[in-house]
Amino acid sequence: MTVLIVAGLTGIALGGLLSATAGRLVAGLWLQAVGTLALGLAGGLVLFGAADVGAAFTSELTPHAGIDGLTGFFLATLALVACPALVYATAYVPRTAGGRITGTLTSAFLLSLVGVVCARDALSFLFFWELMTLVPAAIILVGTSTEAARHTVFTYVAITHLGGAGTWIALLLLAHEGAIGDSTALGEGSGVQAVIAVAAMIGFGTKAGLMPMHAWLPRAHPIAPAFISALMSGVMVAVAAYGLIRVLVDWLGPPPSWVGATMLILGGLSALGGITYALFQRDLKRLLAFSTVEHLGVVALALGACLLLRRHGADQWAAFALGAALLHIVNHATFKALLFLGAGTFERATGALALDHLGGLLRRLPWSGGAFLVGALAIAGMPLLNGFASEWLTLQALLHTPAYAGVWDGTLGALALAALAATMALAVLCFVKVIGLVLLGPARRSACADAVEPARPMRWAVVALAGACVVLGTVPGLLFSRLTVLAPWPGSGDVPVRPGLDLPGTGSLPTAGILVVVCGLTALLWLVRGNRRAAVSPTWASGQLVEPQLLWTSAGFSKPLRLVLEAVLRPERELETMTSGGVVQEVSYAGRVPHLIDNHLYRPVTNGALLAASWARRLQSGRLGTYVLYLIGLVVALLLAVRIGAIG
Amino acid sequence: MTAQSVTAGAVQVVGGIALSPFLIGLTQLAKARLQGRRGPGPLQPYRELRRLWGKSGVDVESTTLVYRLAPVLVAAALGAAILLVPAAQGAPGLGVGHDALALAGLLALARLSVCAAAWDTSNGFALQGASRDLVLSVFVEAALVLSLAVAALVAGTTDLRGVVAGTAGSQPWTTPALGLAAVAFALVVIAETGRQPVDNPDTHLELTMIHEGPILEYAGRDQALLQWALAARHWLVLVLAASIFLPHVQGTWWQLALLPVSLTLLCLVLALTETLVAKMRILLVPRLIGVGAAVALLGIVTWLVDAL
Repeated sequence: MTVLIVAGLTGIALGGLLSATAGRLVAGLWLQAVGTLALGLAGGLVLFGAADVGAAFTSELTPHAGIDGLTGFFLATLALVACPALVYATAYVPRTAGGRITGTLTSAFLLSLVGVVCARDALSFLFFWELMTLVPAAIILVGTSTEAARHTVFTYVAITHLGGAGTWIALLLLAHEGAIGDSTALGEGSGVQAVIAVAAMIGFGTKAGLMPMHAWLPRAHPIAPAFISALMSGVMVAVAAYGLIRVLVDWLGPPPSWVGATMLILGGLSALGGITYALFQRDLKRLLAFSTVEHLGVVALALGACLLLRRHGADQWAAFALGAALLHIVNHATFKALLFLGAGTFERATGALALDHLGGLLRRLPWSGGAFLVGALAIAGMPLLNGFASEWLTLQALLHTPAYAGVWDGTLGALALAALAATMALAVLCFVKVIGLVLLGPARRSACADAVEPARPMRWAVVALAGACVVLGTVPGLLFSRLTVLAPWPGSGDVPVRPGLDLPGTGSLPTAGILVVVCGLTALLWLVRGNRRAAVSPTWASGQLVEPQLLWTSAGFSKPLRLVLEAVLRPERELETMTSGGVVQEVSYAGRVPHLIDNHLYRPVTNGALLAASWARRLQSGRLGTYVLYLIGLVVALLLAVRIGAIG
Repeated sequence: MTAQSVTAGAVQVVGGIALSPFLIGLTQLAKARLQGRRGPGPLQPYRELRRLWGKSGVDVESTTLVYRLAPVLVAAALGAAILLVPAAQGAPGLGVGHDALALAGLLALARLSVCAAAWDTSNGFALQGASRDLVLSVFVEAALVLSLAVAALVAGTTDLRGVVAGTAGSQPWTTPALGLAAVAFALVVIAETGRQPVDNPDTHLELTMIHEGPILEYAGRDQALLQWALAARHWLVLVLAASIFLPHVQGTWWQLALLPVSLTLLCLVLALTETLVAKMRILLVPRLIGVGAAVALLGIVTWLVDAL
């Protein structure tokens, strides 16, 4: 065990150094991949029953590190995503000075992610937490240093640091109260507990991209290099969820029910809002980033259900809900990394990622396209693949909330259930659109018609992740039975080890059985249908020729939803018709769906801040006389205050 | 394996596979009679299927495996769903479990396959139908899950066999919550079977179709599989409606005996609704089904207050 951990850490660190040397970039990235694999193995071993390694949690402020089951789970998740991503990077990163810096920074990013989940005291946790925020910003700037990218990175760092204050407050207060690793230290329902809960939800929630604190995420994730996007969307947000789990589920003790209720509200808002705005994005990577908001919302829903169920004494279902959240974290990490890597491949192969300018890539890139198809089906929550298993568990947890949680919390649980069901249907709409516009239909640009498969490592990475989606979808029960026992309350989280999901109070989800039945029936019907086909015919378009102008666009496919949700989304549309002599010469149309939270929450705040700053600037005239005047004014004011007895 | 579980299993599988087109035929016949026409006999859907099965399929230019696979996958997903929905409380396990929420997943798989195939053909009418269907499904899914949730909460499990047993009783509805859920589920039935006021099953005009749209390009055996899948969808939701939301009694034999009666009754009600109600404007449908979801939510609140 120790050998694995040391080998893993050395591998990542040495790999990082090696990447910096000219000509050794590829070797360095491979070494990093091997290192993460070793760490992931160590984590997996701890998760599946080996003894904990290193220190336990402490409220002291000296550096401690260790691995327990939950940490092991996150290390394994990290490896599951980072190994393919690094293999992908060996062919993706350009062999230039910039590429070498990216390679080195990647190792720093990986080490900071490992550091956060292995930290056992507040100070090292916060140190690695800050590092984890700053390193991706540096990687983005190394890759692209346009004005727009710099502005985005500024937004990212600004928002995550403002929100990150919550993390500092929560951790330091916990350390001060001696509650790190001790769920009995805080008084139940005490003021400190409430402050810590709010601070943690703001701090970790910002990093996890929960609405309405998500504004940075859809901006920052798309502009990073593909494999860093995969790590950010797959692992970095998962580490934020790790923080939420540690603080809210464990160290806080049983929190008051408003904490669980708030998580349900944040989760429902993020899930519905994330997928709705994803539907109206024009850029594939931006769409994927919004869908990350959605999936962290699903995780938050499961955590909210966990807290409410625990509050109302349903310990067993609370453990199941926690298991659902964790399973969804690893599932989301796999398919989101797959989709971001696939998007990177398409960008390389065709030069751009605007949804309306791709098309037909499944025929041109059978391996990458096929893997992308599997990922899109998994994220759309199709049975047989991994996304459905954890979403089914989350639905079950929310459905069982009303059974235990009383009228108010129960009603909230039912509302969250409806929100998740609608979210899953919206995800189908969203990813059918992605599959159709990217993979199927005619090529919409000449670059798409000539696209070719990328270098082998880039292919291996996506195919391996697609395999992981299938495996996790077939035998989720093997992992789930280990996840429910991670619940910090004793007992009752035990479920029998089965490939499928078989919980009391449900009709069970025998994933392997469903896979066999659906695939078997498909094969059988395929054979029965036989091969009798008439001549190939063109698409029916009421007798017209199908011309490129008649092809459906992204906006067209989501138009019914835009019309149905008009009152909520407030889409903008401009239609200009130029006529001369009674004949229409030109029609120009522009439509977009503005982001309401940006417009109504962030813009007033930033405008207010800028206004305040311009006021403050007037005070700073730069003349010595003015400053002397300020000093005299201050002294007079103080003297007056002493005279009337306000101070002194 | 007792006699009753074998019988229940046989009714479930044979009924779902072989008798489901009869439900459509029956509805069409009843509708014709209500409108004063003679109409084709209840076996007409079988004749349609035989006719289609004898014709060859047509491939559309530049389509991929997705287009070829879709009809087969749709039929397979519906087949798995038939194994999942029990005909009575004593139904045997058939390898796919009996979970209410897993059913929603299988229906979504069928829907996604058809809509992906619509993109594969790039047919404008198919895509129009697909996008409308998927948008409606957002609301239908919420109403479906909420109404099943009411039944599951009343019964204490999401196992459909347990739900059938837990909601059985000699009174019309054991709790008022179930009555509210039945209202919501009625709207789900109309939407899932593609009937008025949501969709018009008789129309074949490209612009007015929802469910017919995405399958426009298919012919021959592909079309036969898709038509059977539509019939199977009728079977699934009507069996659920009959064995959970309509009054039913305890005991597998009684439930099996009552099932044909309830199914016939539901087909007549569908025909009556289609005769009385005109098709709605498409953008108003989400509102209608949203109201259904709200009613089901009210059902949960009722149940919560009731349990106090």
